[in-house]
Amino acid sequence: MRVGLFIPCYVDQFYPQVGIATLELLEKLGCTVVYPPDQTCCGQPMANSGFEHLTGECTNLFVKNFNEFDYIVSPSGSCVLHIKEHSHETAGIHNKIYELVEFLTDILNIDHLDASFPYRVGLHQSCHGQRGLHLAQMSELMAPPFSKPAQLLNMVKKIQLIDLDRKDECCGFGGTFCVAEEAVSVKMGKDRVADHAKHGAEIITGSDMSCLMHLEGILRRQKSPVTVKHIAEILNSNIES
Amino acid sequence: MSSENHKDHAALAAKFNKDEARVDWHDQTLWFVRAKRDKAAAAVPDWELLRDTASRIKENVLSNLSEYLRQFEEAATRNGIMVHWAADAKEHNDIVLGILRKHKVDRMVKSKSMLTEECHLNEYLKENGVEVIDTDLGERVVQLADEPPSHIVLPCIHWKKEEIGQLFHEHLGTPEGNADPRFLTHAARLHLREKFLTRRAALTGVNFAVAETGEFVVCTNEGNADMGAHLADVHIACMGIEKLIPQRRHLGVFLRLLTRSATGQPITTYSSHFKRPRPGQEMHIVLVDNGRSTHLGRKDFRNSLKCIRCAACFNTCPVYRRSGGHSYHTAVAGPIGSILSPNLDRKKYSDLPFASTLCGSCSNVCPVKIDIHEQLYKWRQVIVQEGNAAAAKTAAMKTMTWVLSNPGVYHASGKAGRWFMLNVPFTVKNKWNAWYLQRELPEPPKQSFGQWYKKNRKV
Amino acid sequence: MSSRDTILATVKSNQPGPRDLPADYSAPTANAVDLTPQFISILEAIGGAAFLVSGYERIATILHEQFPDARRIVTSCSQLTAFAAAAAGGDPHELDTVDLAILPAHFGVAENGACWITESQMIERVLPFITQNLALIIPRNAIVATLHQAYDRIATLEAEGFATFIAGPSKTADIEQSLVLGAHGPRSLTVFLVDEHLSDAGFY
Repeated sequence: MRVGLFIPCYVDQFYPQVGIATLELLEKLGCTVVYPPDQTCCGQPMANSGFEHLTGECTNLFVKNFNEFDYIVSPSGSCVLHIKEHSHETAGIHNKIYELVEFLTDILNIDHLDASFPYRVGLHQSCHGQRGLHLAQMSELMAPPFSKPAQLLNMVKKIQLIDLDRKDECCGFGGTFCVAEEAVSVKMGKDRVADHAKHGAEIITGSDMSCLMHLEGILRRQKSPVTVKHIAEILNSNIES
Repeated sequence: MSSENHKDHAALAAKFNKDEARVDWHDQTLWFVRAKRDKAAAAVPDWELLRDTASRIKENVLSNLSEYLRQFEEAATRNGIMVHWAADAKEHNDIVLGILRKHKVDRMVKSKSMLTEECHLNEYLKENGVEVIDTDLGERVVQLADEPPSHIVLPCIHWKKEEIGQLFHEHLGTPEGNADPRFLTHAARLHLREKFLTRRAALTGVNFAVAETGEFVVCTNEGNADMGAHLADVHIACMGIEKLIPQRRHLGVFLRLLTRSATGQPITTYSSHFKRPRPGQEMHIVLVDNGRSTHLGRKDFRNSLKCIRCAACFNTCPVYRRSGGHSYHTAVAGPIGSILSPNLDRKKYSDLPFASTLCGSCSNVCPVKIDIHEQLYKWRQVIVQEGNAAAAKTAAMKTMTWVLSNPGVYHASGKAGRWFMLNVPFTVKNKWNAWYLQRELPEPPKQSFGQWYKKNRKV
Repeated sequence: MSSRDTILATVKSNQPGPRDLPADYSAPTANAVDLTPQFISILEAIGGAAFLVSGYERIATILHEQFPDARRIVTSCSQLTAFAAAAAGGDPHELDTVDLAILPAHFGVAENGACWITESQMIERVLPFITQNLALIIPRNAIVATLHQAYDRIATLEAEGFATFIAGPSKTADIEQSLVLGAHGPRSLTVFLVDEHLSDAGFY
């Protein structure tokens, strides 16, 4: 199967290691992965700010780059959700685009990983992935619990997943919200970080680098020893101790 | 209220966040209410089916609203209730004043009605010489403090008990420094009992009105709606036209959902069913439109009219909990308020759909399954397309669109941006960069993923 | 055109396309289960008190013990006129001095500890609210599981001008979410569940 790798614009520019981990992980699991070099963005930042009507060209470029593949995989729940629900693309892309975690659990159906990550890890449940793509059960719903990211993380040797007081509260990034409503955005991020710290997390992970970028910004301003790592990096790790 | 001088949600929320300890207290108090809701919902087998049932009943109501309104009017009139119709807030206020004047009443008690907040009834009556006493304890607190409620179910959730103690000391003569909730509640009990016993007119809200039987239901924990109505010669009930339900037995569905969603209690202490006036009493009901019939015609937004005003969305909203109801500068705040208010005044409330991260938690707790977070997204599109986005934002978005639609420009900008961050950090690490106020920026890597791929993988 | 006509016309032209009512919701219930324990446990959790009694003499005895300082006691139950006054209707304001009102109710609801009481049982509509303390009496076997069964049962009763569900004493948590019993309505609620098959020594 040919997988088109879609790397969100800010991951491309600021967190290339997440793209590298995603690529390596998919290849390890037997996929032929291609990164179309002319890709840019899914259009979400504009759409969520009310400018969906400007995203046509962006969407066309996306379709042009990715239409040929059997699957499109991205280490970003919010970008994938945007393409599926708000891009109005008509080429059928929304049927074959997957966020990385769900691609691993639902398409590749992996049941074990050769990975090792000896750290206390807090899982941040990014909202678009969780409530939009149903990567995990939502605490508001009276329904059986499940979590695809936790399922994968539990395959990693030596990892210790911590509990949280508020399992799925939003981190406050929210796209342009992070600067338009800076005070509330930062407060939300600080509270998430405090929850993880309270439960002894050494590393905070999740499937959206945007959330992690926001939390990392706060952690580093606080000079906290806690760091962030995208789930792709953990699933691709082989750290013995 | 003019739309010129109000600050927007972001500015008001920033002010609210200056006192971080207070924000923590406000946030934790409301999260606790959300947690109580979760516990109550978990104790109801088939909770999700119940939500779905309520949602579909309400959708049936909206699709037959004109017929149900006629049916309700007919049944209520047969019951001896006088039915009035108000096209807008002004007409509602005039009708209420007219009834009071007819009975030569200049002092009235009122139980909670968000509709009357929406219509600014209290101010109107005051201007026209009618004293209104809000009898819900939380509403009385904010009335004494001369401010609007900040939450539609817990009106003074933003007040600390020491502050209420001080307020009661000033207005009710309680001892200074007494902040004991039991003592203060008892003081309010005595103070308001005198009002109940001496006022000849009482105004209540309506939680549900039943088309089939022409009755309406008022739910309270305090008993204040009943104390007012059953002692008054005139009982005026005010409701938005969307508060109808088709049949009496549907109350079983809604009363099971309402209070569990609102406070985590299985039911309010009192769920009073008013069908006929007390012998010798006049009972009135005012059916209010105020933009609802217009909103009904909006395909993307009409489902917000299913709302039963439980405030579960407020309690779960991480933004509401950390900004407080007054940051929304509207009668009904929170997520539901953010999708209802733009209907009332597009310009004045254009900031509200943006006061959200679109996390989606609200839609999941809504007992009638309003797609709140989807409507927030759609309102953003409407607001921008109607020209109500800030000019600077529009310019920035157009630039962003151009960059992201052209790979060459994108790669060049990315490279340039990273170069500036690395070599001239002051261009981004300054106080005009809102990101940088309380967060570090990401460290710019030497190469982008695209550049790495080109070097290491491209064949 | 009157506001009524304008509103109805606008609503009619803007209503969405037809949406049927959903299938009747029937809560899952286990038949022939004694609902008394659930009713009592929830009523107590919401601040009420419950007594399982064999008859009216026990009610009078218990109330006498629980409310020794009650000076004005009224009731609409003919069985209790030795213990309490049969208050006449008339001016509802006059009931302001009632310390304890003892009234029958039709049935209880196990899922929320509520009792359904109608106007004809109240003497005056304001009485269950204005009294300082309220006692309600229901037959022990008149407890339904949920509000769905409650409304089925209500449909068999004559419709009255006013009726209400009463679940516990009046209360508020408006001051910093601190629960206080006794807001504007009664400060206590006691429910008596009458079961003639109980022996006289049987009390909850």
